[in-house]
Amino acid sequence: METTIALKADHIIKYFYEPQKFQVLKDVSFEVKKGEFLSLTGKSGSGKSTLLYVLSTMDTNYEGELFINGEKLTGQSQNNLAAFRNEQIGFVFQFHYLLPEFSAIDNVMLPAMKLNKKSKQEIEDKAYKNLKLLGLEDQALKLASKLSGGQQQRVAIARALINDPSIIMGDEPTGNLDSKNTQVVFDIFKELAHEQGQTIITVTHDDDFARNSDRIIDMSDGVIIRHH
Amino acid sequence: MFATNLKIAKVHLTSKIKQTVVALLGVMFGISMYVFMNSFMTGVNDVQTDLAFTSLAHIHIYNDGPADNTNLVKRVYKGKDVAINIRNAKVIQYTEGIKNTREILSLVRKQPEVIGITPQVNINVFFRNGSNKVNGTLSGVDVDNENRLFNISTYMTSGTWNSLQYRHDGVILGLDLAQQLSLNINDNINVLTSDGVSRNFKVIGIYQTNVKGVDKSKAYVNISSARQLLSKNQDYVTDLQVNINNFEKTAPVVARLAPVIPYKVESWQTANQQLEAGSKLRDIIAMAVSLTILMVAGFGIYNIMNMTINEKIREIAILKAMGFSGRDVTEIFLVQAVVVGIIGGIIGMILGFVIADIVNHIPFKIGGLNNLPMAYHPKDYIMAFTFGLITTLVAGYLPARKASKIDPVDIIRG
Repeated sequence: METTIALKADHIIKYFYEPQKFQVLKDVSFEVKKGEFLSLTGKSGSGKSTLLYVLSTMDTNYEGELFINGEKLTGQSQNNLAAFRNEQIGFVFQFHYLLPEFSAIDNVMLPAMKLNKKSKQEIEDKAYKNLKLLGLEDQALKLASKLSGGQQQRVAIARALINDPSIIMGDEPTGNLDSKNTQVVFDIFKELAHEQGQTIITVTHDDDFARNSDRIIDMSDGVIIRHH
Repeated sequence: MFATNLKIAKVHLTSKIKQTVVALLGVMFGISMYVFMNSFMTGVNDVQTDLAFTSLAHIHIYNDGPADNTNLVKRVYKGKDVAINIRNAKVIQYTEGIKNTREILSLVRKQPEVIGITPQVNINVFFRNGSNKVNGTLSGVDVDNENRLFNISTYMTSGTWNSLQYRHDGVILGLDLAQQLSLNINDNINVLTSDGVSRNFKVIGIYQTNVKGVDKSKAYVNISSARQLLSKNQDYVTDLQVNINNFEKTAPVVARLAPVIPYKVESWQTANQQLEAGSKLRDIIAMAVSLTILMVAGFGIYNIMNMTINEKIREIAILKAMGFSGRDVTEIFLVQAVVVGIIGGIIGMILGFVIADIVNHIPFKIGGLNNLPMAYHPKDYIMAFTFGLITTLVAGYLPARKASKIDPVDIIRG
């Protein structure tokens, strides 16, 4: 049973201290199975993005415990977490967050170059394949800063997939995309989850997107109000 | 992995050329100013040291004369109840000058610090030409060694210093002394000693050290002629002038020589405390100026590097989100700092040299100088470069380390 749990959040509590002390997450606990496509929904300010950042290990300032693939990540050093993220987690930000001075293909390749487990040629092939999957093969050599918002977001998704991470997290990953591309991304996620066994956790406002995923966790005021 | 970090550093440096250039300029100006100011200060100090040592040796050995013996009776009768009345007490000097010169010379030459020693026979005389009379010093010198210590040949305005070697009837006068006596080269001059011996010499050269006190009262003859004037043997000298390799470090040499030489051994510092004070003060000023420049330039470099990194803070967050460790981030920015430091340092040294060279050509015609003095010591350049590199590294490292430690989400959330 142990191996089928991809992620476990155990009594996560988080405060914001600016401008005043405010409890964002109030004792959130849940589990995500391997190969599951999970949507986190809720109004803005409900704490869903904050929760996602905690799950992504990029935010270490919380109470409670976080396990991914059976490994306890709470309390680990920054550098350990970075190495863990590099190999196990692919993250898509709300506002794309590419390195503007690098080409699209370089952006996609960077996490794999950091991981340093494949040859440069293999990484490049894989990066092209990912870009092609998202319909961006002709934009590969453009600087990231020269791409449109939607293109940047798709490059960010291609980047999140490059190391075949066990978990892919997205903060509104389709927020800047038109309906056609949203469908493309949705199909990719679905396929990754169901055929490759990669776990997907997305924060979304898009009700259709959420409804079509495997499970929805609905949040309000820092607590989970509903599982579907 | 390092190759990837290098690539990121390279993209950072080359994609925003303007910003890189600003950082380079900051480092460059800091280093060039440091090089220039240090070269200038050192140049000025060197010139002042040169001027001070034109007629002053580092260590002076001479016969101090007998102690004050005007009241010998008092030494024997020490009580208060003895009345002593001595009138017209006279000091009888038993020895004059230095007798066993050869031994002292060989002893002094054995000291490892000693780079030159020259014997002198200095006589107080009247220089006379017709009815003009000037009181001054006639210095009988060992021609080669005197020049080695004091570089007099470079101060000659007419005639040559070396001719004194062969012309035992020749004398070399200070420029002001010659003018006061209306004398020119090849004229005759009469010298009268305090013992009443008079002799004619021929003026075979004129020098100008720009130290007025010397130029208007000192004349040089061959040491044999001076001995002859005093009817002394070939071992007789009045003064031994010693130069050592580091003019600041006279104390240990004096301490070693004084107990074994039965004459007064005196360092230039003891003889001329005002010169020593001047020299020390100049050193302190030089250090203060140099420290100030270090601080100002260092702060400038720090600011610019800090700014550069702060502009990249968002990219640092993205790199960290993708799994780059704090070490990678520090590495990326240290590489940039090293590149900026090295390039800025090299250009800074070149610019510093150019500025120094330009200032060195500004005319400054006082006290025998022609241009503003300037020193070109590799030490200053190495110091400036090292300092620039270290400052740049620290300036790059501190903010990079800070950035490497925070949670990426803290930056992204803003």
